Amino acid sequence: MADSARARVRKKTMRTNYRKRVSFARGAAFLLIAALCAALAVPGTARAGRAVRLALQWYPQAQFAGYYMALEKGLYAERGLYVTILPGSANNNSLSRVVDGRADFCTAFLSSALEYRDKGEELVNVGQFVRKSALMLVARKDSGIKSVKDLDGRRIGTWGDNFQLQPVALFKRENLDVTLVRQSPSFELFMRGGLDAAMAMWYNEYHRLISYGLNPEEMTAFFFSDLDLNQPEDGLYCLESTLEMWPGMAAAMVEASAEGWRYAFAHPEETVDVILRVMKKANVRANRAHQAWMLARMKDIILPDGAKDIDTRLRQADYERTRDALRSSGVIENDIPYNDFHKEAAR
Amino acid sequence: MKVHGIAFRLASLTLLVSSLILASIVGYNYTVSRSIIMDQAEDRGTLLARATSSRISNVLTSVRKVADAVSFSLEDGSLSEKRLNDLGNHIISDNPEIFGTAIAFEPYAFKADQEYYAPYHYRSQNRIAFTRLGGPDYQYFYMDWYQLPRELDRPVWTEPYFDEGGGHQLMSTYSVPFHRKRFDEKTLAGVVTADISLGWIKTMLSDLSEREAGYVFMLSRYGTFLAHPDADLVQNETIFSWAETLGRADIRELGRRMVAGESGIEEVDGLPLTGDSFLYFTSLPDQQWSIGVVFPKEAMFADVFRLNREVATLGILGFIALALLIIYLATRITRPLCNLTSSANEMASGNLDADVPVAASRDEVGELTASFLTMRESLKGYIANLTETTAAKERIESELRIAHDIQMGILPKLFPAFPERKEFDVYASIEPAKEVGGDLYDFFFLDDDHFCFLVGDVSGKGVPAAFFMAVTKTLLKVVAERDFDPGVVLAKVNDDLAEDNEACMFVTLFLAVIDIDSGETRYASAGHNPPLLLPADGPCEWVPPLNELVAGVMEGTSYTTKTMRMNPGDTLFIYTDGVTEAMDKDNNLYSEDRLMEEVNQCGGRSAESIIRTVAASIKAFTGGAEQSDDITMLAMQYLGSRKTNKEKHDGNND
Amino acid sequence: MEITIEKRDAGTLVRVGGRMDAVAAPDFEKECAGVVESGEKLVVVDLAQLEYISSAGLRSILATAKKIKATGGAMKFSGLAGMVEEVFQVSGLGTLFEVAATPDEAF
Repeated sequence: MADSARARVRKKTMRTNYRKRVSFARGAAFLLIAALCAALAVPGTARAGRAVRLALQWYPQAQFAGYYMALEKGLYAERGLYVTILPGSANNNSLSRVVDGRADFCTAFLSSALEYRDKGEELVNVGQFVRKSALMLVARKDSGIKSVKDLDGRRIGTWGDNFQLQPVALFKRENLDVTLVRQSPSFELFMRGGLDAAMAMWYNEYHRLISYGLNPEEMTAFFFSDLDLNQPEDGLYCLESTLEMWPGMAAAMVEASAEGWRYAFAHPEETVDVILRVMKKANVRANRAHQAWMLARMKDIILPDGAKDIDTRLRQADYERTRDALRSSGVIENDIPYNDFHKEAAR
Repeated sequence: MKVHGIAFRLASLTLLVSSLILASIVGYNYTVSRSIIMDQAEDRGTLLARATSSRISNVLTSVRKVADAVSFSLEDGSLSEKRLNDLGNHIISDNPEIFGTAIAFEPYAFKADQEYYAPYHYRSQNRIAFTRLGGPDYQYFYMDWYQLPRELDRPVWTEPYFDEGGGHQLMSTYSVPFHRKRFDEKTLAGVVTADISLGWIKTMLSDLSEREAGYVFMLSRYGTFLAHPDADLVQNETIFSWAETLGRADIRELGRRMVAGESGIEEVDGLPLTGDSFLYFTSLPDQQWSIGVVFPKEAMFADVFRLNREVATLGILGFIALALLIIYLATRITRPLCNLTSSANEMASGNLDADVPVAASRDEVGELTASFLTMRESLKGYIANLTETTAAKERIESELRIAHDIQMGILPKLFPAFPERKEFDVYASIEPAKEVGGDLYDFFFLDDDHFCFLVGDVSGKGVPAAFFMAVTKTLLKVVAERDFDPGVVLAKVNDDLAEDNEACMFVTLFLAVIDIDSGETRYASAGHNPPLLLPADGPCEWVPPLNELVAGVMEGTSYTTKTMRMNPGDTLFIYTDGVTEAMDKDNNLYSEDRLMEEVNQCGGRSAESIIRTVAASIKAFTGGAEQSDDITMLAMQYLGSRKTNKEKHDGNND
Repeated sequence: MEITIEKRDAGTLVRVGGRMDAVAAPDFEKECAGVVESGEKLVVVDLAQLEYISSAGLRSILATAKKIKATGGAMKFSGLAGMVEEVFQVSGLGTLFEVAATPDEAF
């Protein structure tokens, strides 16, 4: 089939002992090199550099502008981190890559990371960037949906798995009987009237609907963050072992990434140029309006409610609400303590 | 000086009008040709958009028909796997425009143990290749090409996409759901698809774009650019994201009309590639794709602009020629006028013999020149006449001046007149008006004791009055010296004057004779205004009028002689009506009351002082207004007899 | 100076108004001369509207009177007042002519 539509099919990849060993060996090698460097280094000179691989959840886009700008402006290099960014795809889950040792750090939704942790992976959150959930439900006003109650009995497009946590919680709380239909990313089914409402990310699909000619005033939008179902989204993760071996490295990553985001928000034009260049290079369809929108929305959810500066701390209340929601819906089993999961890396 | 001459005004007015005409012609020409071009472009654009859409529709319809037919045949549940493969093969081999076809079944619908069953036949290197779709990595149930017809339960054209395997061709898939009977109920069994390449559309549109001044573009049902000369837009942008990048709400609105399936024509300014343009759009009804034809105004109107430029250039050349002609003509007409003007200026400065240009033409200017010559002759004659008249007038005036001088000369002017006489003090003044008048005064001794003094006013002015005055004065003196009685003197003088007085000239006279020993004063008045008596010790009073006739009117008139006594220090103030009738600028009279008041202030002063005081008062009153009548005053102050004076003197000496 | 001439059965009434000075006097003389030449025997001159009379004015009156007298006619005056009356009195003209209060009385 020639259809290039991308399905979010998560590959459940098994960790093997082999990989673990490789990971350990590599870690040991790093340690050795680091020790050597530390021994040889004249006090006051620059730290020795380290190669770092950062895996993203998805294809290059403004959702990751901060990391690309940190790389572009040499903010990682300033801290001795020689970062390679590994874009994600349907077949390349960022968390799997870290677990498998194919990456040192990754960005991921809190809920996805918790699932991995629950399954015993020693993943830790070293910095939280997106504080406010961008997930939303969109309906066309002409379908008669004006409030959450109007969703009762409707067909609603969803994506798989952890994107469903918040909507399912909502439908349960509001006692709504809905038909969930797995939707393709093209939103065609919604556009053609095959769905009454669809899940969308504010920074991405919502704008795609605008780009399909729907005017914002023709749509009803429900933000989960407005419905007491906020969940922190993109955060920076690594293995606990990595953190233990090179605690300073995680801190530097978080700091440089935050710096990258600050730069991106301060220089949106330049940032969109960089993102479009990266996307073109990666053969990803790109348009300026969409990336400019995405960057602006990332600012809204990284600096929510008029926050002045980026706070990379994962707030305990946010964490626990998300964890408890996942537990109560049966996605995870264990009661993972906040302090085990979040290791504040930033100084 | 001559900035706004006739030539200038004529030229500018004519040129203004002709440039207005020129501008309207160019404007009309532009408007009409522009609207013709617009109409033509509208027709061509609309036609092009429709033709393109129907060409594309035709191909797509044939594909649709094939897939519809296949879906119908698939309703037969007894089809074997081999028959299914043959069907796929046939679809590809019989329909060159179909790139691939899949017959995809619902989970476990074709074989009870197979979740995925979807044979796919497609072209590959001039052969028909075959593969099976589906599996955990390709869950086709959630692909648009399967999910859309399934969920909507109707055939769909999917959004066009780039085929990443087949050489980056633009593709679209037509998917038709098919049903089978299951438990006596028609249920959806699967979907049959036909993939077609849209590469030929791109070629067709770019061919069209090359032939036309503008270009043709195509939008998907959600506004995605399927074809556009800017390759970066294709499949990357929708018309809406493009509008957002350009910041153009109008383009977004236009996009909404296009994807809504409307047809129309719009003017869109400032488009990338073509600038200000016209857009003609229509849609492919089955797919809800839209075709847009863009014509740049600049290219459309290039001919109009060129035509207009030429018309304007011709017009401007004509305008310049016209301007030169008008300036030449106007100059020719006005040159004689200019010459005439300079002649007139020369004449105005006094040279009446200045050259007057010869009237060459028999037009208005010629007539003007002729009248000008006539005027010059009349002017010359008039000036000659005027010179003569002026000379005569000057001669008369000079003679009058001499007459006036002579007249004044006969009045006594030397004061004090009798320095050796202490009994009285006499002082007189005459302020002649500009014109020769007829006032007179005189005083003289009749004998040692009798002193005669008089004031008169001849009616009218001019030489006759002057003569009359001179005659009167002479007569008075001659008669008075013979006859001391004032009434008799006046009667005799009257008779002499009245004789042969055809002009009825007359004179008013006040004549008095004082006995300077006693102060007894006899007087008579011929119609003269009453004098003032200023006693030494009291307020002044009018000498009672006698109301007797003016002299010179009627022979035989008799005059009464009255007697009064002047005491030492008393002053008799005699004057002519030039005093009381002196006028200020507002024509108010000096008046008798004012005179009396003024004289009353003069108690105890000398005769000269009284007259000077009154004269100053009159001058102050008139304030420089022109004097119309002689102002004559005489003051006679009696100081007492010689004896009395002597006695006094002697007494003082004793 | 304004002069109006009104022919009546008994004679002619000449009304004179304004200022009778050296400039205006000849006009009066001319107008009256016209009346006399037409054979009028009685001319009544009404001076009620006359504001000012100069010696030249008096002269023209005397000249006119002389002309009328020569033809055997008579000249009478009416409406003397103010300055004019004063002048008539002082100059003795009042004694020379018959003077009435109004034109009607003069006829």
